[in-house]
Amino acid sequence: MDGPVNKIMVYVDGTEESITAAQYGICLARATGAEFYALYIVNTRALSDLVSAKIFLQAEEEEYKNDLELDADRYLNHIKQMARDKGVAVKTLKSSGSVNVEIKNKVNENEIDLLIIGELSKIRSRRDELYNETERAMRSVNCSVLIAKDEERVWTIYNQLV
Amino acid sequence: MAIIDLISASVVKVPLKSKTKTEVIRELVDVLFKADKLSDTESVFKAVIARENMGSTGLEKGIAVPHAKTEKIKNLTLAIGISPEGVDFDALDGEKSKLFFLLLAQPNQSGPHIEALAEIARITRSQNFCRMLTNASTPEEVVELFTED
Repeated sequence: MDGPVNKIMVYVDGTEESITAAQYGICLARATGAEFYALYIVNTRALSDLVSAKIFLQAEEEEYKNDLELDADRYLNHIKQMARDKGVAVKTLKSSGSVNVEIKNKVNENEIDLLIIGELSKIRSRRDELYNETERAMRSVNCSVLIAKDEERVWTIYNQLV
Repeated sequence: MAIIDLISASVVKVPLKSKTKTEVIRELVDVLFKADKLSDTESVFKAVIARENMGSTGLEKGIAVPHAKTEKIKNLTLAIGISPEGVDFDALDGEKSKLFFLLLAQPNQSGPHIEALAEIARITRSQNFCRMLTNASTPEEVVELFTED
């Protein structure tokens, strides 16, 4: 019989907060036996927005896209290593496009039942609510969402996992 | 990270004293140095100028978004400058630029760098908000506009 959580996916964007989310996800996957996925999205939507706004030159778009591809590989490898250290198998997913749309797509495609994201910025302006891509994803996905907070506590739990 | 997290009165200069493009960049880099956001003004200045030499970041309607990657900062860093009189920044529409967003990122911070630039692009689409920013007379007023809007 299925448990309450069978497939966990963590969204990694290169921030410290998302690494904390990955550590928490690894702990939860170990505790529940759920399958563990890590997703990185190359934000090509933002890149094309910047070219359209003429903030980026075409050459810059290519350069930054390459940087993001390398970031994706680096961070996903880092998550793989962290998971391996704790005896958890991880399926890494790399996608490109609009962050909130791709998170929703990958949740649906892989039948994820728990999405874990890093702590969001405090809302100090209405603009944050309107434009934060991760928050948009949190609102639009069909599965439950967990926001990993308290970096020190999560690190302690992750570190103590034998 | 939302750009509001990068904005404090110490990284806002109102009004800018500069009268030329290079002076504006130099003045904003100095603002960040005084705010303890970077360690080497000369190499940061050169990095921003090198990017400008590839193509001006002076956009339309009085907005400019100079940016560069540099190792000389600790974290993603933004400075805002306002020149009510305007400065010739080789803008696309030939108009003088009045509102400057200088964004610096470490070479390995492409993700947050792009997201911050995209947020600036979205914010500057609001002509009303840009008008309010341009009319601000103190750094605190600029911070308040971002916080309240």
